[in-house]
Amino acid sequence: MSFDLYLIVESVPLMLSGIGITLKLLVISAFLGLLLAILLLLMRISGKWYLDWPAQVYIYVFRGTPILVQIFIVYYGFPQFEFIRDSIFWPILREPAGCAIVALSLNTGAYVSEILRGGVLGVGKGLLEAGSALGMSARQKFIYITTPIAVRLALPAYSNDVISLLKSTALASTITIADMTGIARTIVAETYAPYEIFISMAIIYMAFTWVLQKSFGLIEGYLGRYAKREA
Amino acid sequence: MKLRTSIVAAALAGAVFLSGQVQAEPFRVGMECTYAPFNFKNTDGELVGYDVDVAKGVARIIGADLEFVCQEWDGMIPALLANKFDLVIASMSITEKRLEKMDFSSPYRFSIGQIVGSEKIDRKLFDDDGNPIPENFKGLKVGLERATTYTHWFEEVLPDADVLLYDSNEALYLDLRNGRTDIIMTNPMKAHLRFLSQEEGSGFKLIGPPVDEEKYFGIGVGIGLRQGQPELKSRLNAALKELINSGELESYALKYFPFKLHKDEWGS
Repeated sequence: MSFDLYLIVESVPLMLSGIGITLKLLVISAFLGLLLAILLLLMRISGKWYLDWPAQVYIYVFRGTPILVQIFIVYYGFPQFEFIRDSIFWPILREPAGCAIVALSLNTGAYVSEILRGGVLGVGKGLLEAGSALGMSARQKFIYITTPIAVRLALPAYSNDVISLLKSTALASTITIADMTGIARTIVAETYAPYEIFISMAIIYMAFTWVLQKSFGLIEGYLGRYAKREA
Repeated sequence: MKLRTSIVAAALAGAVFLSGQVQAEPFRVGMECTYAPFNFKNTDGELVGYDVDVAKGVARIIGADLEFVCQEWDGMIPALLANKFDLVIASMSITEKRLEKMDFSSPYRFSIGQIVGSEKIDRKLFDDDGNPIPENFKGLKVGLERATTYTHWFEEVLPDADVLLYDSNEALYLDLRNGRTDIIMTNPMKAHLRFLSQEEGSGFKLIGPPVDEEKYFGIGVGIGLRQGQPELKSRLNAALKELINSGELESYALKYFPFKLHKDEWGS
């Protein structure tokens, strides 16, 4: 087994040309997923069964099925229905990237809402009682006490989910999208050199993950600056 | 100790050699198993098709035991090189590029491509001599299977087309019907059987003449093997010749098509 270094030098720039698409999938899905997660979270903690139950079912369905299957259902399944092809959503669902973003957002939204809920539930009861003692309304307590603390508590788990979303974007290559993985798969199929290409690919993803990890580390440090104990 | 090891090794080698005389040699054959009518599973779950018949015919003449391995197309050559199987009998065209990495027998089927699109398409894609008109392909969404000869042809001949790469042939038809692509290019025999002759293929047709430029499509489809096995290669070639000259190869084709899929001159 020879390791063709020249091939790596030649193909890494090609793979990097897909970085824009990978980033686009990551950023848009993470953003839309977060909005969805907040909505689901509010439904979950609303205390009203008719909001809580649908959210629970949604989360169960999306955490209970493989993301690849969800992508296939959105991409190949939806267009089977005439009314979807005639709907206002078709311009989005017609595009492979639109389908990938829809599927990734729906999926990550389910996970992130549970992460956020963990953060909300982790807020000390005593703090909320103190808020009540000061005469704060439920809404004020949520905005000024629960939210800042919950965000801090949820952040480490959330960064985990963003990193996992980064790697899920690779699945978009199965629905014709030429992201980094899609380009890599085409190069492998042309050059028959899976080791060189996929190992370079793995290193690029790891570098990406490192950047994400460091950024979240900085945000964590910033948000936790008052909570640090003097050694 | 060393001596004893070598004696044991020699004995083992002898045993292997002797048993090789009695038992047929095993042939592991890689194919997609989803590429109808060339290699696919029928409703009973049996592997059938033109490639499968060729594999069985060749194995019978050579006197080998067959074992089929199903492998996705884009991993076919890596799997052959990694010794996951010994032969590729999967409708793989013989091309210069592939010959750099692997070896092929002589061809057993010719290799062509044709465009499929809507009957209502309003562009003229080929001129009267059957040559493609590049400007009319501009901005057209074209569905192709990843890393096939069709992708190379499009890259070189019609670089302005907007190509989408799919991982399976079924997905090509699905997205053509869903309107995500305007045209696809694939094997016309297969497109006819799996799509155009079916209900879901209504409203679609073959567009333009079949393309068979040898530079892209090669001289045809052969049996793939790892390099450095000239003896195996010549046995495969001899077996294919026998299938052609006995008329057996034609009978395989006639099971699925009203015509044969090889040239008679390959037999001489």
